[in-house]
Amino acid sequence: MATLDLLVSPLGRVEGDLDLAVKIDDGVVSDAWTTASMFRGFEIILRGKDPQAGLIVTPRICGICGGSHLYKAVYALDTAWKTEVPVNATLVRNIAQACETIQSIPRWFYALFAIDLTNKNYAKSPNYAEAVRRFAPFVGACYEPAIVISSKPVEIYAIFGGQWPHSSFMIPGGVMSAPSLSDVTRSIAILDWWREHWLEKMWLGGSVDRWLENKTWDDVQTWMNENKGHYESDCGFFLRYAQEIGLDKFGQGVGRFLAPGTFFQPELYTHPTIEGRNAALISRAGVYDGKTWHEFDQARIKEDVTHSFYEGKKFLHPFEGVTEPIDPEEGRKHGKYTWSKSPRYDVPGIGYVPLEVGPLARQIIAGNPNHAAHQNYDPLIYNCYQQMGPSVMLRAFARMHEAARYYKMVRQWLTEIKLHDRFYIKPVERAEGQGFGATEAARGFLADWIVLKDGKIANYQVITPTAWNVSPRDGQENRGPMESAFMGVNVADAEDPVELGHVARSFDSCLVCTVHAYDGKSGAELAEFQLNGNGSC
Amino acid sequence: MVSLLWLQGGACSGNTISLLNAEEPSIVDLVTDFGIDIVWHPSLGMELGKNAQKLLYSLARGERPLDIFVYEGTVIMGPNGTGRFNMFAERPMKDWVIELAHQAQIVVAIGDCAAYGGIPVVDPNPVDSIGMQYFRRHKGGFLGADFRSKMGLPVVNIPGCPVHPDWVTQILVAIATGRAGDIALDDIGRPKTFFTTFTQTGCTRNQFFEWKQSASEFGQGTRTGCLFYELGCRGPMTRSSCNRILWNRQSSKTRAGMPCLGCTEPEFPFYDLAPGTVFKTQKISGSVPMDLPTGTDHATYMAHAAMARVAAPSWSKEDIFVV
Ligand code: SF4
Ligand code: SF4
Repeated sequence: MATLDLLVSPLGRVEGDLDLAVKIDDGVVSDAWTTASMFRGFEIILRGKDPQAGLIVTPRICGICGGSHLYKAVYALDTAWKTEVPVNATLVRNIAQACETIQSIPRWFYALFAIDLTNKNYAKSPNYAEAVRRFAPFVGACYEPAIVISSKPVEIYAIFGGQWPHSSFMIPGGVMSAPSLSDVTRSIAILDWWREHWLEKMWLGGSVDRWLENKTWDDVQTWMNENKGHYESDCGFFLRYAQEIGLDKFGQGVGRFLAPGTFFQPELYTHPTIEGRNAALISRAGVYDGKTWHEFDQARIKEDVTHSFYEGKKFLHPFEGVTEPIDPEEGRKHGKYTWSKSPRYDVPGIGYVPLEVGPLARQIIAGNPNHAAHQNYDPLIYNCYQQMGPSVMLRAFARMHEAARYYKMVRQWLTEIKLHDRFYIKPVERAEGQGFGATEAARGFLADWIVLKDGKIANYQVITPTAWNVSPRDGQENRGPMESAFMGVNVADAEDPVELGHVARSFDSCLVCTVHAYDGKSGAELAEFQLNGNGSC
Repeated sequence: MVSLLWLQGGACSGNTISLLNAEEPSIVDLVTDFGIDIVWHPSLGMELGKNAQKLLYSLARGERPLDIFVYEGTVIMGPNGTGRFNMFAERPMKDWVIELAHQAQIVVAIGDCAAYGGIPVVDPNPVDSIGMQYFRRHKGGFLGADFRSKMGLPVVNIPGCPVHPDWVTQILVAIATGRAGDIALDDIGRPKTFFTTFTQTGCTRNQFFEWKQSASEFGQGTRTGCLFYELGCRGPMTRSSCNRILWNRQSSKTRAGMPCLGCTEPEFPFYDLAPGTVFKTQKISGSVPMDLPTGTDHATYMAHAAMARVAAPSWSKEDIFVV
């Protein structure tokens, strides 16, 4: 039996600092370790600073989902300061957060994910030439238009927030801007231009409304074969080609999911509280344990550092959380292997386990038929999940499906803004308090926990989607979700392990998104493993 | 063909992502129309794993020519000068940076972090970050005050948190079309063409500034007034072109009602985000702004302000950005 240790570095496209170590037996991955290889210490910077410093600092954790950082950071302060948030402000915040995510959908697909579909390993596939024609980087027929068009939704962000990325225009009590009529009409025109030119013309080859009639995987097949437009669309082609090259067959992951939810029904969240959060959400929060759904409760989250480059083996809730980095060389001696902490969730009846976050998680939660009138219910992806289980393809599909959903929501919110009403209610700047804010970044769970004392930040902890998905083993030696997803993957060419790239990218790991950015097996084995990797370059 | 390598150190990718918003030229135009050969980029690179590593070594050893080395993010020196807080392709990033910088014709620091340190150097600078050729306003940085790239230029700093995409594309086009010699740099390494005017140049609130009329609070309060007096706007002392070359082709912070944070200046974020300094104008004896528009002093500023207030027309006290 041929055993090969392979260290792939760098791997993560988006931000280069994800190292992956895998063990391959006869071409099949038999073990995996994910390493986030950079630490910047933003949580350390925030200690002792102005309470609002998180509005400036946390967006800079990740330039790709900086708007999502701002969105959850402001809710952490709203809950800590007990503010009142006018309806208009919630609408503008929702619009901005959603526009960042819809920017990310085509950009992620064409610039980061689909270019791997043109890898020479697939040259024997019947549709390979067509994949190259569409998706080849820079020169593919769909590449440039999609990249350029992806910058449109954030033009709407700029209208409300001044610029994207890295505005800090959401503040406790509301937003800094007060749009005029032409700001709103122009936003509608830009959004509809995006729908027409990308979502309908390129992606769906048909109407958004027809797409949203699809409730099951069988419906999708009917849709596909209904006309040439659907069949030949990028969506139609992707689903056909993905099955042709087997993307529906690997990258399962841990099979348990978490969504913190996002977007608030404005009237239901004028006085943001931690307890009132779930009921006010439009895109729901929840946990799916592989069989059934549970309510989300932030109190059930803890972060483990047994295998991460931080002091000791602490396992703490973020309000008590600490960020105490150590020299990775020293950490390796103790079986630590990454800067990512291991967030774990106490699932009722199961205990603390790793959970997958992201679009697939969101859509599985959206498939829960128990919902209030203002909340999203969408059975499509949950049906697909039941039919074929999680995979690289389904993760990508879940994300793309959200384009149509988010379009509808933003369009609606834009009509609900009442220009003559308030956008801000000046809050009392409380010297003491604690708050929690969370959202769905395009790639999933993103949340802040803030503790204020004497008018300063006493503690600030951020958990990113990447921390969940690329988390290392925990104290129980459970692999993180992406590590699990690598297990059993067939690698055709160890020199160009494109399959591993597919898995990583299906999670859209955005490494820089890991603020605190290690192990299961004994430390000794890992060290040996790393050595083999180093020896190969 | 002009070869370009782009690496990210203590960064957030924000500059890369901002660049993807570019039009005329778009990032694709840079490749297809201007002959820029992006040898590798963390978000756009096709090569994975060992293939990427071979490529990086061939550039770092000078076996393959490198025209433009773009670096985004701080150079991370910790812990204890080892650089191990930021490993890249199995080495400390700082080791890659020093080799590549000495092989490149031109070195471009993109964004505040690479240029001056930015957010990561805020007290207590937990990972020992440093800019490429500066630490905040002090010349030196990682490469040293005397560093010159093969073409004889210091590091070209394009600051901003993040940079505006046009600031980057126009400089890259200038280099690709043989105009590198026309890029005049100011005393802290910024291309003068973008960083001589102020954020205030072109701000829609200038008339309120002129008559010393303040926006009183955020939200509906920013339908009138200037953000300088109460809300901490740094527009009059920040060299940027944010209101000349709009963001996302639509707007700018100050137009939308958000105070300029001064992100193209080496001191950003100002006052190290100490309690009481965020979104609030810092004042002397409760009323006089501590930081004044570039080139003025307190005595002249106050005399001018008093006159302006007296002369202020009535419309300057009303909403002009009306529904
Ligand atoms: S809002 Fe800022 S940039 Fe605009 S005029 Fe006032 S001080 Fe100048
Ligand atoms: S307005 Fe000020 S803070 Fe905003 S991008 Fe321009 S220089 Fe930076």
